[in-house]
Formats: sequence, structure tokens, C-alpha cells
Amino acid sequence: MIDFVQNCFDGVMLGSSYALLAIGFTLIFGVMRRLNLSYGPSIMLGAFVGTLVFLEFRAGGLAVAAATVVGAVLVGIYVERLCFWAIRQGAAVASMVSSFAIWMQLEEVVTIAFPDRTYPFPPLTRTEPMDFGPFFFKVENLIMFACAVALTLGLHLLLYRTRFGLRIRAVAENPDAARYMGINIAAVTFLAFACASAIGGIAGYLIVAQDGQITPLFGLWATFKGLIAMMLGGMGSIPGAILGGLLLGVVEAQNIWYLGTEYRDLCAYALLFVFLVFRPGGMFGHTLAERERLALRRV
Amino acid sequence: MLALKSLSKHFGGVRAVDGLDMEVGKGEIFGLIGPNGSGKSTTVNLICGVFPVTAGEIRFEDRDITRAAPHVCLAAGIARTFQNIRLFGHLSVWQNLWVAQNGMADRRTSGFLHRWFAGSGRARADVERLLEFAGLGGKAEELAANLSFGEQRRLELARALAAKPTMLLLDEPAAGMNMEEVAQLRERLMALRDDGKTILLVEHVMELVMGVTDRIAVLNFGQKIAEGTPEEIQNDPLVREAYLGAPQSAGDGHA
Repeated sequence: MIDFVQNCFDGVMLGSSYALLAIGFTLIFGVMRRLNLSYGPSIMLGAFVGTLVFLEFRAGGLAVAAATVVGAVLVGIYVERLCFWAIRQGAAVASMVSSFAIWMQLEEVVTIAFPDRTYPFPPLTRTEPMDFGPFFFKVENLIMFACAVALTLGLHLLLYRTRFGLRIRAVAENPDAARYMGINIAAVTFLAFACASAIGGIAGYLIVAQDGQITPLFGLWATFKGLIAMMLGGMGSIPGAILGGLLLGVVEAQNIWYLGTEYRDLCAYALLFVFLVFRPGGMFGHTLAERERLALRRV
Repeated sequence: MLALKSLSKHFGGVRAVDGLDMEVGKGEIFGLIGPNGSGKSTTVNLICGVFPVTAGEIRFEDRDITRAAPHVCLAAGIARTFQNIRLFGHLSVWQNLWVAQNGMADRRTSGFLHRWFAGSGRARADVERLLEFAGLGGKAEELAANLSFGEQRRLELARALAAKPTMLLLDEPAAGMNMEEVAQLRERLMALRDDGKTILLVEHVMELVMGVTDRIAVLNFGQKIAEGTPEEIQNDPLVREAYLGAPQSAGDGHA
């Protein structure tokens, strides 16, 4: 029982990083109704920028974090210009396919620029785990969880308490009406994309710093975890992204403990399969679709 | 104020608007009427920059806005409402107004930081005033999707006003309204004119058009077939023919 509870704690903390990745995905999807497969790889490239700063200048944690986030945002902007802005009149699937092409391109760039594949990444902290009765917590896990909570709260305030956030929501709901109300759609989607990339950059830094190393495969990993967490929660829903991430984390943590590490990804796919069969809209997807139908009927 | 010069819009072989010349004076309520498919809504959409103009020119306050994007037209001072209501249903009533405060009037008179900190108080006061004007005083926190049809129409009008435009384009604001609501709308439009706004009114409800406009232009097949005061239009034989296909009395009831 103690093991189970401990696993739940670990899972929530692991899941908080998945939740951040899923929030980035869902923010882009919510505003543009388009899927950005290059999301993970752009974070991966940002992390390699962080590694570069670490290796070249022996920089401290904060500088590496800043470099990672700035790198992720710059690559994110590159993806936005190429896969979304340039073909905004085209079909949504065109954006998805070209974001897949850019993914391959980004991975190539990294393997050419960093031929050793695996590079060291400075850890968050070297503090010993802390004990609370029968349970123990890794300090870097606690930091990750705290950052995830703070970021989610910040995003909530941005979306629901500022005019910029209101514009994002207006564009997500009715781009046409938003345009005629004088909202500059191009600027709003660009900034929303940049926000999502920044969140992804922070999430990427926290995850990679825990692993202590970075490989080009991190891009694939981040896209998979973020996508699965988003689909569990319901595409376009931020509460869904959070719950989806946490659920994925807890299920993975239980599996690692009871079945072993080799089943970690298998169980993530199994979970997604179960959801796609029994609740294809995700946890919040149905209500979202229903709300949309209602909005279309009434407004 | 607003001048259209031989404005044309062709969709493939269809000449939706065909060489339209029209001028709306400052402070006027200008009616634009015509049978279904005569090009009224297309004209409104052209002025707002919804789709590109085939030929001709649109000038607003001596500025060429022929190829301006929608948000640029709004910044220039032209706001609109829609024939089919297009509110943000998941946002509350006051948020619908707040998000639409994108006009240039405030930007010219105050800096970015000032707007960020001190602007919100004034923005709040503006929203209160608009709620009052639209008769939505008690509904500020309601979701727009939950309002009644008449309330949604009023919110659309208020939302167009939130940007503090100098000119309003109203695309069939009275569609689906009962007699009492039409009378209220008429009062509101009069109040707006007294406030100095210029209004281009596209409408099928003749009680409203004939009762409130200063001048009227009549479109048929994308071309202007008549222009004048409401009295002149009601007695114009071409207009009667376009509406009724026979020489009878025009101007009563729904056309």
C-alpha cells in the first residue's frame, strides 16, 4: 500500500512535466485547430542550445535554463512561420504534414551539429532525497512539480484575467468574428505559439535536467508524451491537458514499479488505446464538442 | 465620410457588385436596400476588407482603404455587426465587449504603459456604459450563448460600439425582431446619430429603413438603381418594379 501511494506521488510529479508538454500542444491546437508535430523536436533543439551554453561557458543552471527556453522559442517561431503562417489558407492537415517534415529537418540539424548524440546536461540540484515518514521525495521532482503548478496558474491568469488572454480565447472560439472586432489574428496566434514554445522550453529543461543528459531522441519522446497526454484529456482543453498528463504519469509510475521499466511506454500506448476505444474525445473532449455544438446552434 | 467609386466584386461570372458609386456623409444614417441577392451584404463585406475588391476604390475620411485588412478598417474607425449573429458564445457579456475594445481612439491619446495600468478603469467604465445602452445591465456575467435572440442582437450592436468607431455598418440588425424590438432599435440608432456616429444600414424591415434613414440607395443585381430620401425612394417606379415586379405601392411591410 505504501508502495502504491509512493508511486502515486512519483507519478503526479512525473505527470506534471507531461502536463506542461500537453498544455503547450493544446494551446496551439486550441487557437489554430492545427497539430504541431514539431513541438517536441523544437524543445529538443532548445535543450541542445542549453547544453552548448553549459559546455562552452560552464554556465550555471539559470543560464542553461534561459538558453533552453530562448532556443525552444526561436525554433518554435521558425516552425510557426514555415508550417502555419505560410500555409494558413491551406488545409489543417498540410500544417501537420509539414510540421512532420520540419521535425526530420530539426533532428538532422542536431545530429550533424552534435555528432556524439548523447551530451551531458547540468542537473537541477544534487540534494539528497527528503523523507516524510514512510515516503521520500526527490528534490528535483518537487521543484518540477512546483514549477508546473506555478506555470499552470500563470497561464490561467493570462488566459482568464488579461485582455491578451481574452483575445486568444476569442480567436480560438470564432476567428472570423475576432477579425472583424479588430483583433489582429496573426499577432495573437504568433504570440500564443511563442507562449506554448516557452512553456515547452521550461518543461523540456526540467525533464532533461532530471535525466542529466540529452539525445536527439528527446524530440520524439516529448512529442509522444505531450500528444498522448493531450489526447487523454481532450484536444484543446487545458484542464484536460493537466489531468491527462497526471494520469499518464501515475499509470507509468505504477507500471515501472510493478512491471518494470521496459513496460513504461507500452502501458502509455495501452492507456491511449483504451481511451480511443471507449472515450475517443478524451476526458474533457466530449463536453468541449458539446459546447461547440451549442455555440454553433445558439450563436 | 465614406465613398465608393465604381466598386465591383465578381465571383467567377457572377457580378455581385457591379460598378457601385455611393457616398455616405458624416453624421448620416444611410440606408442600403434591395431584393435578396442584390449585393448589399457583399458591399458591406467589401468595405470591411473581408474579401478583395475586383475593381474600384473605397475611401474613408479621405484615406484609401480599398485593400485594407479587417483589423485595419476597424482601426480606421469602421465597425460592423453581422447578419447572422457571431458573438463569442463561451465568453461572458462583458468579456465580449472588453475583448472588442480595439479602436484607435485610445491608442492615439495614451501610451502603452498608461493603457496597461490606468486604462483598465476607463475601459471598465466604457463597458458599463455600453451595457446600459444595450439594456443588458443585469446580464454582464451571463455567457453570450445563454442570452435570448433579442439580447444577442443588442450585444452585437454594443460590441461593435466597443471599439469607439466613427462609422457603423449594420447588416440587417432588425432581422427576426418583433415590432417592439424594432422600435427600440430605432431609438438606439437615433441616439447614435445624435452622438455623431455615421451609420450604413442594410435592412429588409421597411418600417425601420423608412423611419430612420436620411438617404437611401437601392441595389438590384449589384447596381444602384435609385438613390434619394425615403419619400423619393418610396415613389420611385424602378424601385417598385425591382421589389414587386409590378407597379404597385412599395414600402409597406417586409419586402
